[in-house]
Amino acid sequence: MSDRSQLISAGKPFQYDKKRDAEFERLVKRYPSRESMILPALWLIQEQEGWISQEAIAYVADRIGTFASKVYEAVTFYTMYQLHPMGRNHICVCRTLSCWLRGKQEIVDYLKTEVGIIPGQISEDGKFSLEEVECLGHCGTAPVVQVNGEFYENMDVDKLKSLLATLK
Amino acid sequence: MADKVKLFVNGIEVEVEAGKNLIDAIGAVGIEIPHLCYHPALGADGNCRMCLVGIEDGRPPLVPACKTPAQAGMKVLLNAEHIKKIQHDVMEFELINHPIDCPICDQAGECKLQDYYMSYDQRESRMTVPQVVKNKKMDYGCGVVHDQERCVVCGRCVRFCRQITKTGELGIINRTDDARVAIFPGRPLNNRYALNVVDICPVGAMTSRDFRFKQRVWFLEKDPGICHGCAKGCNIYIDHNRPKYQDDIIYRFRPRLNNQVNGYFICDEGRLSYKKENDGRLFDGRIGDQVRSLQDVLAACVKEIQRAAKTLILLSPDCSLEQMVGVKALAEKIGATLSGYSDGYIKEGDGDGYLIQDDKSANRAGLALLGIDCAKEAFEKAVQDAQLLLNFNNNLGLSYNDSELGKLLKDTRTIAITTHDDKVTALADWAVPVASFSEYGGSIVNCDNILQTFRKAVTKNNDLADIGTIAAMLGSPLQSNGERYAELRKFISALKGIEPENIPAEGLKLNESEAANVTA
Amino acid sequence: MEVKILSAKFDIKNAHKIKVAQKHGAYATLDKLFSMKPEDVIEEVKNSGLRGRGGAGFPAGVKWSFLPKNTGKPVYLAVNSDESEPATFKDRYILVKDPHMLIEGIIICSYAIGSHDTYIYIRGEYTTQVKALQAAIDEAYAAGFLGDKVAGRDFQLNVTVHRGAGAYVCGEETALLESIEGRKGQPRSKPPFPAVAGLYGCPTIINNVQSIASLPFIIEKGADAYKAYGTEKSTGTHLFGISGHVERPGMYELPLGLPLLEVIDKVAGGVWKGRKLKGVIPGGSSTPVLLPEEAKTVTLDYESMAAHKTMFGSGGIVVLDETVDIVHLVKNLIDFYHHESCGQCTPCREGLGWMLKIIKKIVRGEGSIDELNLLRELCDNIEMKTVCVLSAACTMPVRSYLDKFRHEFEAYVTKDASLAVQAKQE
Repeated sequence: MSDRSQLISAGKPFQYDKKRDAEFERLVKRYPSRESMILPALWLIQEQEGWISQEAIAYVADRIGTFASKVYEAVTFYTMYQLHPMGRNHICVCRTLSCWLRGKQEIVDYLKTEVGIIPGQISEDGKFSLEEVECLGHCGTAPVVQVNGEFYENMDVDKLKSLLATLK
Repeated sequence: MADKVKLFVNGIEVEVEAGKNLIDAIGAVGIEIPHLCYHPALGADGNCRMCLVGIEDGRPPLVPACKTPAQAGMKVLLNAEHIKKIQHDVMEFELINHPIDCPICDQAGECKLQDYYMSYDQRESRMTVPQVVKNKKMDYGCGVVHDQERCVVCGRCVRFCRQITKTGELGIINRTDDARVAIFPGRPLNNRYALNVVDICPVGAMTSRDFRFKQRVWFLEKDPGICHGCAKGCNIYIDHNRPKYQDDIIYRFRPRLNNQVNGYFICDEGRLSYKKENDGRLFDGRIGDQVRSLQDVLAACVKEIQRAAKTLILLSPDCSLEQMVGVKALAEKIGATLSGYSDGYIKEGDGDGYLIQDDKSANRAGLALLGIDCAKEAFEKAVQDAQLLLNFNNNLGLSYNDSELGKLLKDTRTIAITTHDDKVTALADWAVPVASFSEYGGSIVNCDNILQTFRKAVTKNNDLADIGTIAAMLGSPLQSNGERYAELRKFISALKGIEPENIPAEGLKLNESEAANVTA
Repeated sequence: MEVKILSAKFDIKNAHKIKVAQKHGAYATLDKLFSMKPEDVIEEVKNSGLRGRGGAGFPAGVKWSFLPKNTGKPVYLAVNSDESEPATFKDRYILVKDPHMLIEGIIICSYAIGSHDTYIYIRGEYTTQVKALQAAIDEAYAAGFLGDKVAGRDFQLNVTVHRGAGAYVCGEETALLESIEGRKGQPRSKPPFPAVAGLYGCPTIINNVQSIASLPFIIEKGADAYKAYGTEKSTGTHLFGISGHVERPGMYELPLGLPLLEVIDKVAGGVWKGRKLKGVIPGGSSTPVLLPEEAKTVTLDYESMAAHKTMFGSGGIVVLDETVDIVHLVKNLIDFYHHESCGQCTPCREGLGWMLKIIKKIVRGEGSIDELNLLRELCDNIEMKTVCVLSAACTMPVRSYLDKFRHEFEAYVTKDASLAVQAKQE
């Protein structure tokens, strides 16, 4: 896993925009404990900014009224939280069992040779970032790739080529 | 008294407290169940897996002892082969990524991994692949140094900051074997009890910067004592040693369990107050600024006392009860006014409702019990009237600043019977060195009216007499500690039936009625 | 062989929209439901033999009956939609194609156990699925099936969707609760069991999405109708996922009890590309592998799987053809479990990392026979000494590969002793 705390960077002062602020207040009412808001609040940050900065973590801790260490624990434990800015298009390639059996490695190798990124890296022009993730729950249509949250099933190198061409 | 139940450990019947977890219940009858993450003040976490024991015919048959309440008839298996194998295996897992830092680690000699390795493992390492590498020598604030590689991720330090100080600076971040203790950037440890994590850490992951590399613990004499930093009277261990050709000095204080007073912890200021016992001490008698032998100084003092028309005796609120009663008898004998004025020892608003008290003196309650007046006006008037001030270790510098003190004492000669050679002592005409609290035995009463006794711990090369002895040499009729204790009984009825060695280890709670002699 | 009980509406266009769903029977059971006593609902579910479809297979009705009565605390329902077990991909079909079936099931369960607050824990990766689910929940609120008066009755029910963020361990029921409470997904020691002290310390029932979605059928048609499918002890139907080296991988709803190899051949088209079968993973990556000889006598139910020393699990069948390098497969699995270990307890945290380093060394050709034997021994040393069963989910299958394909591992082991002892940087 490596030390995710090393990824944390300071950005700029953070606060929720109006939409997320309202959503935060709406969600708070759904839980008997404010601390339950830690995961939803972190998602709201990631939706708004694309990643979660050190300031954002402190903001959320203070807003919920809990220790910064608790939010720090959650944000490093759950690997979907991006702790530094990603590429404009974040590509997740499933690497587990069924996707591995049905050719995920070709996809990863293609991305390395043709696009020039290996898992964990961002491309030089900032257009792509790549991550190898664990089972995405689409084993029957393996290999599967998730880009910007959308699932692309039954992937092969050709389909990937076409997909990449459509991304900005 | 809690209910007792009978259960079996390794086939032998023992009687333990019902409902207590097995570690405490069986530990109380002298059988150790190894554990790392359980701590009686912090509760059970169940993550180290070192305390797994077998329960014969139990469902489940393997349980963590920290989370299992003792029940009648339980058949606990500790020595069984399969349990011993589990203890081996858990130790193996703890050690595969543990750096062999023992030669440079402060914890050596009081390290649970070392102890449990000797008791439950003793096998060669089978680790043939690289260890996990983490950060070392991290500054977490408040003098706490953290080593992530040594850490066994037991979570005690995290639970301490969340449950006890409620400041929550520490957390365990990441998952899998990258899990490590961390502070959030910019929010380091920042509470007055932070150094307790050094004690509760079972390994050398949390160490004290103050103690770092200073002394190997097996050279330390560990004597019980009582912190004199404030009126709480937290119980401590005084860890001291006399390095070759040097003097017996204290290397650190550690908390000592007292369920009635401080529980398992002490505050950082009290912990670090050992430095005051070592530094700035007065060891030589002085007349003016001339070093003279104790005999000469005391002879001069006796003459002064006889010469002075009016003498004022000032007592420190840190003195033990025995010392106070000895000085009181001296005052009566020589017809001196007696005061315990020490308002400067009280820092209003500094106390925190947990351990730290506003009152930074150790035995103010003793002054009250013995009916010694502490009023400011009475003291200042008495100073005006007296030609001689006999100051038994009361730090007037706390109650007066330099110019005030100069004005106060301008017409009074001062004999300073004191532990420390500071600027207040420098003002005195005669100076008599005395033992500090780690160097004598006595009793004090804390802010909750609990009377505690302590014994002498440190013996300096120049082994100083304590205040009680000095008072006797100056003419007090109470010549020995035995006589002083007998006199004490007149003031504290609770002591009437008890010999000093029989005072309970956790202290004797005095009722209001014992304070019958509190001056109105 | 396929049936359409749970998947009845999957092929109907727009069945995820409430109007279409209702036309095909969604929420039709509510009248009958509210005319029953909650205890009777629990009895019916017990009677049906419905077993937890998340992988543990614990009888659902029995779990509900563990709830203590009259504690004065609220009862919570947590729906486990974490679906992160490799080879499992069934629950998301329900979320996208027939979410109202799930919501109806939630109403049934909540009524039976006396709960008024449901939290659906959905894995963070399911982005399109969570949108579909939330849309359906919003429709249900608007139509009065959720909220203060469910279907006009004096019964309040609120459903909140709580997104996870990338942790397989949160599929474990107590880790799921920890995650809802805002903490890391580190499982709790049991006892106390969630039925007694679960979410926020209150009595809580946790059930898999498919288990809850099975309830409308059971209430509408009755326990006997459900028992008509499957075997005596493994009743009903299951959404099986067949993946790996087959011609037609996919999700297929089948009654329990069918022969495994027959299903692979007839439903999924058999081993692909005309290749030979090397092994079958019967119920998700955490289940011990079956050799072709063993698979011949296995039927898809809990009892047959247990008799063959494996598990029914989540019904995620993975077919391995003759080209699969078992040693690399095991490395892939150990890598997964190590990455997902929560790091709480010593044997799993340190042990899985150790196992991963050893298998990587063996794959590089630098491992010794001692290290191979150590890897095998670690499976025994770690298993069942931990707080939760994630460690067993790693060690049980790995043990089966090491035992059944030993020769493949030995082929990787080096005879060069010096290479074996030297520890290189990763």
